[in-house]
This record gives sequence, structure tokens and C-alpha cells, in this order.
Amino acid sequence: MIVAKQKPISEIKEFIEAHSKVLIVGCGGCVTVCLSGGELETQRLASALRIAYLQDGIEKELIAPTITRQCDPEFVEDLVEKYIEGQGIDAVVTLACGIGANYLADRLEGIAVYPGQNTLFMGGVDEPGKWKELCAACGECIVYKTGGICPVARCAKTIMNGPCGGTNDGKCELGEDTDCVWYLIVNRMKELDSLDTLTTLEPPRDWSTSRDGGPRTYEVEDREALVSESEGE
Amino acid sequence: MTEENAVQEIEVCASCMAACPVQTDTRGYAEAIAQGNYELALELLLESNPFPSVCGRICHHPCEQACRRATVDTPVGLRALKRFVVEQTSEYRKSRQPEVKPANGKKVAIIGSGPAGLTAANDLALEGFGVDVYEAADTPGGMLGQTIPRYRLPIEVLMEDIDAIVALGVNLHTGVEIGKDKMISDLQAESDAVLVATGLSESASMVVDGIEAPGVHLAMDFLKAAAAGVPIDLGEHVVVVGGGNVAFDVARTARRLGAKSITLTCLESRDEMPAWEWEIEEGVDEGVELMPGYGPNSVFAEDDVVKGIELKRCTRVFDEDGRFSPQFDDANIATKVCSSVIIAIGQRADLGCLEGSDIEADERGRLTYSITTLGTSKKGVFAAGEVGTGPGAAIEAVREGHRAAIAISHYIDTGEIIELPEPDIAKPEELTAAVAQRVQESGRFDPDMIPAEERVQDFREVETGLTEAEALAESRRCLACLTGAEVNEAACAGCLTCVRICPYDIPTVDRTAAVHADQCQACGLCATECPAGAITLARYSSDDMRDRIAELKEAAGDDLKHPLVLSYCCVFETTSRKYLQPKIEEAVETGILRILVPCAARLSLNDLLAPLELGADGVVVLSCDENDCVTPAAEAKLMRHVRQARTTLEDAGVPADRILHFRTQGSAEESWEGSWAEALETLRTLESAASSEVTK
Repeated sequence: MIVAKQKPISEIKEFIEAHSKVLIVGCGGCVTVCLSGGELETQRLASALRIAYLQDGIEKELIAPTITRQCDPEFVEDLVEKYIEGQGIDAVVTLACGIGANYLADRLEGIAVYPGQNTLFMGGVDEPGKWKELCAACGECIVYKTGGICPVARCAKTIMNGPCGGTNDGKCELGEDTDCVWYLIVNRMKELDSLDTLTTLEPPRDWSTSRDGGPRTYEVEDREALVSESEGE
Repeated sequence: MTEENAVQEIEVCASCMAACPVQTDTRGYAEAIAQGNYELALELLLESNPFPSVCGRICHHPCEQACRRATVDTPVGLRALKRFVVEQTSEYRKSRQPEVKPANGKKVAIIGSGPAGLTAANDLALEGFGVDVYEAADTPGGMLGQTIPRYRLPIEVLMEDIDAIVALGVNLHTGVEIGKDKMISDLQAESDAVLVATGLSESASMVVDGIEAPGVHLAMDFLKAAAAGVPIDLGEHVVVVGGGNVAFDVARTARRLGAKSITLTCLESRDEMPAWEWEIEEGVDEGVELMPGYGPNSVFAEDDVVKGIELKRCTRVFDEDGRFSPQFDDANIATKVCSSVIIAIGQRADLGCLEGSDIEADERGRLTYSITTLGTSKKGVFAAGEVGTGPGAAIEAVREGHRAAIAISHYIDTGEIIELPEPDIAKPEELTAAVAQRVQESGRFDPDMIPAEERVQDFREVETGLTEAEALAESRRCLACLTGAEVNEAACAGCLTCVRICPYDIPTVDRTAAVHADQCQACGLCATECPAGAITLARYSSDDMRDRIAELKEAAGDDLKHPLVLSYCCVFETTSRKYLQPKIEEAVETGILRILVPCAARLSLNDLLAPLELGADGVVVLSCDENDCVTPAAEAKLMRHVRQARTTLEDAGVPADRILHFRTQGSAEESWEGSWAEALETLRTLESAASSEVTK
């Protein structure tokens, strides 16, 4: 999932200072699961802002729905119909990951869109309430060579033939909190009795499938069949 | 109970309610008590049972036997709670005006004013029927009025229930014996239907030598005479024959009438004795000597004076198929010197009321009737209660009275006999051992008993009621089965937060979460943490807080007090209803609006923030004292929510001290006022700081 952390309320407050009717939109997807932008957090943010405005005598209307996902146009369209069109909304704060902000900005002409989150990484739960990065979306997965453990996402230097000289008793030279991923990979390959795989030198990789190749898109084959014929009529 | 209710299929109800013959909303009244709403508790009791005063004293409480708290420690003392409710609401009960339908011009005559007859009378009167109840004795109540000893059921307690039924417009005729003073045919002629609810008013006897001696008494006659205050000379040593509840009533009554020794003998072994265990124990405490496993062989009498009884060893009471078929060892004979013998081996019906009619009875003298329609051999004549079912508990007779009212009302309305449906009742699974061991144990509050040596001096009631503090604490022992978390699957993100936070390890996630209702302990922690807002609670919702603030604003108008405090208060800390059931007028005056919550850890971050956006100046959380919470680990969760809420405020530029948390020291009554005063002081300081800021 995509892990995000809500921005400080003070920062969000500054974003919307000049606006009078603001929509704060939560997302029922990844950010609900990582406890930063679902229904509960959306209400918390809206509540805190309302309390502050009430205290400061500022008149501002805040509406705070949470939608199923902000990364599908249909859900965004529903949101627009129900809460935005003709409602006098002059700014939107999205509590989805950065994707939500983009969808909304693309769709909402003349309405300011602000991110309520700092999108952090793609990862999973380390311990309840703690997440770690586990994938970098490089576009060409090589973990079949590394026992399922990703050096692209989990090595600070993205070294493909590790470990580097900074490895230290299984930890990265960044510090005690960071595992040396190559230490993990070596142990994993030993355990799988495939250590010799690592003796093959990995040549420099083509990063064009990753961010280096520019913004990426992806479409399934025959995708037209995914849409009913009446669509767009 | 209306016909519609009876036919309605009951899905799953709490075990206590399922076990009650009339499905009393036991969980509901326990909760109403916990919230200090004793009047609501009474209303809930009366919905299913017009005899709450009686049942608060003598019910055999199958609800308690079924209470799932028994898996944790001991069942909730529901009978004692019921007594508490009726004791607290006697004035309210007298003033309440039940909704009686307009008279429908139809008449029903009921023979017998026991719990079956009067329950039917109650229900029919509410439905608009004209009801006449005929009681042969001078005291109404059937066996409740005539034979249940006063030390268990004071007559004024019985009369609370009967007076309320009579107040519905029921015509109660005492001292009128049907079959003698008036004939059943008269009733048939005068009424649209007749109900025979005469109970089992006569004692069964036995054939042994000497049984005819004047010092041998039958239980029912003895108890009736004792209740009526008729002097009975028992002599010093009494032998009671029988091992059921009536036998213990007899033995304990004999003790109070001055007998020096009482021996209770019965065919059954000690373990097989049919009396309730508590009856046996209370009897033994009062000096009743048990001699189980014997049956009478003969009674010795000289010049019509009983001198003793000969007993033979009973080797078996029931045969292999469980049928009553006693066998004796004739060589094993015991002799007991005594001055009187009282036979309490069972009751039978007195069908004298059928005199002159052709309503059928069987060869053993039992009224012929159908258990499913309650119809007798004569159309329009019904029967209910022990006269039909055989011996049973008072609450079972109440159930039969409800059924009779349905049968009769249907018959009068349609001319048809209805097959009465049995309610389809499902109850939750037992608590698993894993869940039960995580529930915090808490000792049961039993009512006090007057010491045995004192209570045998007279017929004063042996049991005292619970104090208010005890009743509140006892009501809060209820596990509130089936009122826990409900998941809105459409909103659930399957994030596992509920699984991780539940102190009882109950929720599971398979794509979406399921909080298994029969195990959920309704602590509410999952609902407070669910990031999708997908979990709601059947028992507490913050909507109440919103409504109350709106109510307060409307009531106060321009006079709304500031600082205005919304105070969440843990219901478990109160020992009286002083702070329960808060009134809006009080909040208008004090500026403190109380919202009682069943555990402060049920408050989510947003419950803490929302009052401030709705206009409160401060939120005060009054939780239990440290390590006092009934929910495992809940305290840490509450502290986290308070911390988060305060940090959120600060982040938004609002002073964190607008949310304050206090622990209850001792009880609510001892410490809450102090906490509110401190909170008001803090809020005033914030206010003046803010206004001086503005001035600058």
C-alpha cells in the first residue's frame, strides 16, 4: 500500500486561509489502512479546524466526506456531483496520497486543491502503527535474483551487487535502525541454498522503466472490452 | 403481550432473556438500572410480567441460571435487581397510566386469582375486555396469597402487583367460590369466554397406617392456616414428608410456629431432592434436619395423638426410564419420635368450580385441556396455569396467563380456536474459555439475609434488598451480551486495527472485519480506533452528545453559561443516581453538561473534539481511578485518545487545556464536583488569557 502521513494542521490551516468554503476529502483506500486519511482522520482534521476557527471568530465552512478511493475517476466524479458542483466550494484539501491531489486538480477547474498528506512510500506494516518501505516501483522486478528481498527499495544506495563497505553487523551505515539489505539477501540465499546465484555480477541496469524514463502509464490488453458499449454514448 | 408479539419470530436474544419463560428484557432492565433509570427498568419489567414485585422476591430466576457471566465468575443477581427496581419505583408505579384500549364490550370471566388468572386478566383488560376474576379465598393471589409463606413474600408486596392489575379496571371478586356461590354456567352465560385458572390448591396425600390421625396435616391446609394466622398446635417435634419447595415452606413455617425440632424426610437422596438448592440451604440454616432417602411406613398415634413415624429406606426413586417408581428396603426401618407429621408430597387441582357442568376431567381428576390451544372440552372455556400444566413456578404461570389472553382474545374476535405458537428463541453461544478468562472478575452483590436464629422468631421477610450502590454495581456486572460492535462491511477497509486492539481477541478479518456478536464484550475500543469509521456500537453512540448539546443550547437560549463544559462521565463510578439521568435544566444552571458513558475508553478522539466545535468551551473526561477499569488495557487507550486530542488542538492553535482528564477518586459523589470546579477554574484562566491577548 501507499503510506502517507498527515501534514501538520497548522500547515493545512495556512493553505486554506484565504478560502471560505472548503472540502476536506478522506480516502477509503491505503491511507485509511495506514491511519492517516480515512474517515476518522478526516473528521479529526475537520473538527480541529472548526474549533480553531470558532475560537478565532473566523467564518469558514468545512465539509468533510470520505470517499471509497480517490484514484478512480468514477469515485471522484461522484464526489464532484455530490459535494462540489454548484456548492460554492473554493478549495479542496485531499487526505489521499499524492494521487488524489492530482486526480482532483485535473478534474476541478478553478478550484484550489491542497495536499493534506505527505506521501511517504510504498510499503507495509512493520509493527502495528509502524510501516516500512518495501518497493520502489522500478518497473522491472529483480527480486527473483535476491531471494524476494528488494535492494532497489531497501538499500540506501540501491546497490545491485552488495553489500557495500558500510555494512556493519547486519546494519547499514545509516544507523542501527536500518538493516543492511544485502546482509539480509545473503542470509536468505544461504537459507535457500542458492548463494552461488549471487556470484554472478549484475550488470548496470536500465532505469528507463523506473522514474528515469519519465511519467509512466500502463494499460491492459484489449482494455476497450472493460468498458460497456453504452459508455460515453 | 399482544398476539402479534407472540407470533413474531425472535431472532437471537441474550441467554437470560431466552431462559425467562416470559422473555423478560433482563439485559434491558439491568442496563436501565446502571443508567439510573429505574422507571424505565420497571416499564421493561412490566412489558412481559405484571408480577415484578412477586418475582423480585420468589422467582426461581432461570435468567440467572442462564447468565453467561457464570463462565467468568458468578451470574448477575437479576432477581435482586428486579426487587430493587420495584422498591425504587413504588410511587411511580402507582401514578403511571398504562394505555388501556377503549372497552370493546366483550366480557371474560376468570376463575382463580393466581399469577395465571391475573396475568390473563391484566392482558385482556389492557386490550379493552371487561374482566371479572373470581377468587374463592378472601385473599387474592391464589397460592401466592394463601400458601407462600410471608417470610418469602410479604402480603403487601403481592398486593403491589395485584393493585396495579385491578387498577386497569379488572373486577376482582374475593370470597366467591365458583361451583358453590356461583356456577360456571352463570359465568358462561354472562361472558364471552371463561378461563379456569384455579391452580393446584389441594395437597396430595398417601395411604399409610395412621395417616388419618389428627396430628397429621396436609401441606396446603397447613400453609393456608399459617398464612391466615389460624393457631395450629404442632407440638415440639415435627416431621415433614416431602423434598420439594413446598416441603421446605412447610418445614420453615413449622419452625416459626414454635416447633423445636423439624425433620424433613423424602424418598430422594440429598442430591436428588427437587427443592431449589437455596431453599434447602436456607432451611438447614434455620435448623431443619434432613433425612433424605426414606419413605413413610406408618404413623403411630395414641388416643389420636401422634407419637412418631416409622420410615423405611428408599433404595430407588426412579426407574431406568426416569419414571417415578420407588423401591424400598423393608428391612431398613428408622423410627422418629414426633408430635405431628405434615405431608408435602405434591399438589392437585380442586375442580369444584366445574360443579354442575359437563366440562371434562380425566380419570385422575385432571382437567382435560389442550396445551397448544388452552381449550377445554367446552368451546369458550379455557384453562391456564398449574391446573393444566401441573406444578410449576410462578413465572411459568404468568407465561400461561399471557397465552390464555391471546387464545381468548382470538376466540372472542374470530370465534376460532388458535394454535398458540411457541416463540422461536435462539440464544448466543457460550463464551469461549479464552474470552471468559480475559473478562475482569467482579464479585456479586447478594442481598443480606437476616441471621437464621433471628429470622425463625417470626414471619418477617428473611431477605433484605440491595442498597442503591450495590444494585448499581450489580447491574454493571451484566456483560450486555449481544450489544457489542457492529461492522459496516461496505466501509470496512480490512485494516486489522480492530483485530489488533481488541482486548478479548474477538474480531477477525477475511476481506472485511467481523466482530463476533456472541463473544464481543461491548467494550467499544475497536469502534474508537476504526480508521474507516466502520464500527458502531449498539449501546453507546456519540449522537447522544450532539443531541444533548443542541437541547441545551435551545433550552438556555441567550443565557447559555460560559465556560460551558461537556463532561463525559464513566457510569461505573457512580454509587447513586445523583449524577445519572442528567437534566438539561441543571446543565443550563451549572454550565456543566454530563454525558454518561459506559467506560470512558469508549470515547474516540472525535468524541473528545466534537463538543468544542459544537460550542462547548471545555471537555472534561471523568474516568475511573487508576487500574480500576473493567476493560483490560482500556486505560492506556483512553490516555492515548486524550493525548492525541490535546495535541490536535495545539496543532490547530487551540489551547490543549480545553480538554481535561480527571480520575475519579473514591466515587463520583466524592470527587466529581471537585474536578468540575478545577476544570472551570482552568477554563476561566484560559478565557482571561485569551481576552488579554485580544486587548494587546
